[in-house]
Amino acid sequence: MLENLLLPLVIGLPLLGFAVLGLFGRRIGEPAAGWLASLLVLGSFCLGLVLLLQGGARWTLAEWLPGIPFSLNLDNLSGVMLMVVTGVGFLIHVWAIGYMHGDPGYSRFFSYFNLFIAAMLVLILGDSLPVVFIGWEGVGLASYLLIGFWYHERVNADSARKAFIVNRIGDLGFLLAMGLLWSMFGTLSISELVDKVEAGGYSFTTLTLAGFFLLIGAIGKSAQVPLMVWLPDAMAGPTPVSALIHAATMVTAGVYLLVRHAFILHGDGFLAGLIVAIGLLTAYYGALCSLGQWDIKRIVAYTTLSQLGFMFVAVGVGAYWVAIFHIVTHAFFKALMFMTSGSVIHALGGEQDVRQMGGMRKYLPATHLHGLVATFASGGLVPLAGFWSKDAILAYAFEFGPWLWVLMLGASVLAALYSIRWYVLVFWGEYRGKAHPHESPAVMLWPNHILMGGALGVGFIGLPYVIDYKNFIEPYLTKAIGDFPHEKLPVLTEWVLIAISAVVAVAALWWGFRFFQQKMPAWYERFQAAALQGFYADALYNTLLVNPAKGLAELLFGGDKGLLSGFAGLGSLMGGLGSLLARLETGALRFYLAGLLLALVLLLGWGVLR
Amino acid sequence: MIHLGLWLPLLAGLLLLILPGLGRTFAVASAVVSLVISCVLFAGYGGQGVAYASQIPFLPEAGVYYALGLDGAGLFLWVAVNLVVLLGVWIADVPVRFLAYALMMQTGLLGIFAAQDLIFFYFFFEATLIPALLMLWFYGGPERLRAIYIFALFTLVGSLPMLAAIFAVRFLGGADSFLYTDLAANPLTGQTAALAFLGFLVALAVKTPLFPLHAWLPSFHQQNHPSGLADAMGTLYKVGIFAFFKWAIPLMPEGFREWQGLLLFLAAFGAIYAAWVAFSAPDWKTLLAYAGVSHMGIGALGLFSGNTEGTVGALYLLGASMIYGSAMFLFVGLVYGRTGSLEINPVRGLAKHTPALYVLGMFLLMAMIGLPGLSGFPGELMALLGAYKVSPWLTFVAFLAVIAAAAYALTAFQKLFQESAQAQAVPDLNAREWGFAAVTVAVLLLMGLYPKLFTVYLEPLGKAIAALLGGAS
Repeated sequence: MLENLLLPLVIGLPLLGFAVLGLFGRRIGEPAAGWLASLLVLGSFCLGLVLLLQGGARWTLAEWLPGIPFSLNLDNLSGVMLMVVTGVGFLIHVWAIGYMHGDPGYSRFFSYFNLFIAAMLVLILGDSLPVVFIGWEGVGLASYLLIGFWYHERVNADSARKAFIVNRIGDLGFLLAMGLLWSMFGTLSISELVDKVEAGGYSFTTLTLAGFFLLIGAIGKSAQVPLMVWLPDAMAGPTPVSALIHAATMVTAGVYLLVRHAFILHGDGFLAGLIVAIGLLTAYYGALCSLGQWDIKRIVAYTTLSQLGFMFVAVGVGAYWVAIFHIVTHAFFKALMFMTSGSVIHALGGEQDVRQMGGMRKYLPATHLHGLVATFASGGLVPLAGFWSKDAILAYAFEFGPWLWVLMLGASVLAALYSIRWYVLVFWGEYRGKAHPHESPAVMLWPNHILMGGALGVGFIGLPYVIDYKNFIEPYLTKAIGDFPHEKLPVLTEWVLIAISAVVAVAALWWGFRFFQQKMPAWYERFQAAALQGFYADALYNTLLVNPAKGLAELLFGGDKGLLSGFAGLGSLMGGLGSLLARLETGALRFYLAGLLLALVLLLGWGVLR
Repeated sequence: MIHLGLWLPLLAGLLLLILPGLGRTFAVASAVVSLVISCVLFAGYGGQGVAYASQIPFLPEAGVYYALGLDGAGLFLWVAVNLVVLLGVWIADVPVRFLAYALMMQTGLLGIFAAQDLIFFYFFFEATLIPALLMLWFYGGPERLRAIYIFALFTLVGSLPMLAAIFAVRFLGGADSFLYTDLAANPLTGQTAALAFLGFLVALAVKTPLFPLHAWLPSFHQQNHPSGLADAMGTLYKVGIFAFFKWAIPLMPEGFREWQGLLLFLAAFGAIYAAWVAFSAPDWKTLLAYAGVSHMGIGALGLFSGNTEGTVGALYLLGASMIYGSAMFLFVGLVYGRTGSLEINPVRGLAKHTPALYVLGMFLLMAMIGLPGLSGFPGELMALLGAYKVSPWLTFVAFLAVIAAAAYALTAFQKLFQESAQAQAVPDLNAREWGFAAVTVAVLLLMGLYPKLFTVYLEPLGKAIAALLGGAS
């Protein structure tokens, strides 16, 4: 691969858009600001494609920090991600030109949107972990700014802050991973780490710990259980943000990070089990929560959680290329699902409650078609995109253990159900609201047409081996990820699995289609009440973590004042014991107690940690 | 030129006291010249050792020399100090005499970083206190007497053991003079070193500040003038990390080893403790005071790791936090100028009226909480890489502050700028404030994106410390 100065330019284009729109956006105005931002992303896409077709590229600035280069690497893995981020990103940019029409913060929106793309590209292309981390936190910042885009409403600002803080828990994992890898290998360049890990001469337990730290980071960014609580609230941002950041690209960064470090994870039974468990929990949690939501965007947000769980399971069972394949298909159908939702919201003048929707197939024929395809792709109907990637995950799960296959099949039944529920509530039945629905303008329809094409067809790049047709993506990706051979299932088994999952998906879609048109039975109402609250995860965290932490902050603040009194007391002690006793009577006792407690904690802490 | 760079601010400050009619323009001109001098010195630095060295016998019989010189760290911090002073006198809305004190303090600070003789170091270290106290005395808040009392007591009482230790270092170590080169060639050993180091430790922990000797800082900031100029100067006065690096550790490496475990623990504990406390701060200055303690805890953790990465990280974070920390205080001064209050509650919703101020605040805040790409991150990362080698557990404890920092900073920021409040309209940045904002943001970005500019000069110093302490310790 060649050193190529054009590679930083791929990042530079959207970064330029961020700067220009941030400084002069108001003068550029609508719609030029939106088109400028979109075209810069398209430029990035084209440039990235050219470089990728030339076989990739590298760019390095040596000794950016002592011993740490600033290096970028465009290989097949980062290339696929780059295509998704800039390609789907471009379409969502264009769609947003229509959606954000008339917003007073129009240029500011596109400025942040370009910042996001730039940061995401840094994350993807970074070959040195600190560089990846720049992108990692950069997308976090963009996400924070965009969730809180309408920050004059308190709930939006709160959601943005929550997302940032929860993500920082994951970031701590990332930081510790860097500390550990540095102390083990003395380098943070991913391409050098690959060699060093292969060379051996270290403790495998320590390497497991490094993988565990990376996993913490991935859990935060990809909103896996137990750090999933920020993603549903992130829907406070404008819908294009939800589609781009909180469905198609940023939330998959955790999966990408793990796949990038497959050489650390692979063959580690503990990590594999942990990742599978987390993925499964998230897949079920997201799916069940989605079935109880009334806000159209929260429905889709929870479906995203569920699909991210699928990707984690794929990583856990060692199906790294499949995880990326699922990122690709998911980017298409989930972006389509979000933007269809957005078109409906747009058509209804901002209404987000599905109880005030229904019957949209009559009013919005084109959008209805998009919604139908998104539903089928997400529900796993043969031969749409979602089916092939999900089926590949199921096949690998079966190799891991038939029990896992059964559980994952259950999760995909739920996936079919939540997809069709969304569809039925929005498009079927009679319109229950009072607005006057109108179809979206062309600038919003065309991106969805293209995404619909993707949701229909992109699955064909990764057909299972039993279908005697070329699988393009597997050999392409394994070149970059590393080839981890696995035993292929016998042809007959694979066919049977495909048939079962295809039939089950159709059955679930059909059953759901009938079920969600009826009046809900009592048991479902009860389930729905709990699911609507996300099974009380927020309440639980507030009680167990957030409120105690705040309380401790108050206590420590009081204690810190007491510290000064403590020093003053020390001075008085010099002056004479009498004045100290007098002080004790002035009511400062609780400060002393706080000080005492602090001293105890300190002593204990030092004893344990030294 | 080094002499001019050192004494010019003091002269300018004295002149300004005598002729207040010269006004702010004169103070700004002096600060610009200082900054240009330090940039020229920086650009002319060869990359190795102490440059621009000069020594004149002062009390040769006692072994005291007027000796100056700048190594990579000294130059880096000279640039940082001069930049902050320029920003401060440029933006702060204060009487001319106030500016004069700030300039006088500048000389003291530059002297601390340039001194190559321990007695002169001590002189600058103490003399800097005088203008700081004057600013607090003349322009402080209603409870300034108590703040002065606490500040002076901590500083002076803390310094006495250091003075004793200074004599111990020379006479028990057997050096011919107080020159750095002499002293470093005759390091103390054994129990003596441990005791002498303790003397330095007390004084320097006050100025780092290191838990629990940070207790003077909150009242110091709370009572200083709301413009933030005195706070900015006070932030520059947090020279503990530098002094540990330049004097205490090289002169008493064995002493340092004795205390290393405790120091690492105090640094790590202070980092998370202060960040946690900051969440409950009722006003911006208290919040920034604790935030500063937290960041210096991270920096100190890096330095006390005793390896190359940690030392580079500590010094970089020191310089970076001087700039973003000071600029944050000056920024809060701008907020005070508009709202007349520094309280974090109630919600103010300023962003609607002041989008440019909002953006400036966002940059500063993100730099402060260590967002990669801005100036706070490179130092934090290097400190982490160094500290992890020595103590993974303490690193984990200290870097919990990363989460806490997001919590305290974003919560306060939200109340100041976001949500909606029934506030009357306030003006956005004026031309002078735009200048401040542009320079600040440019420096935050430069230091975040191209740390190499400074770290190439810090790395040899880090290697020297690591070699002195015997590898990764």
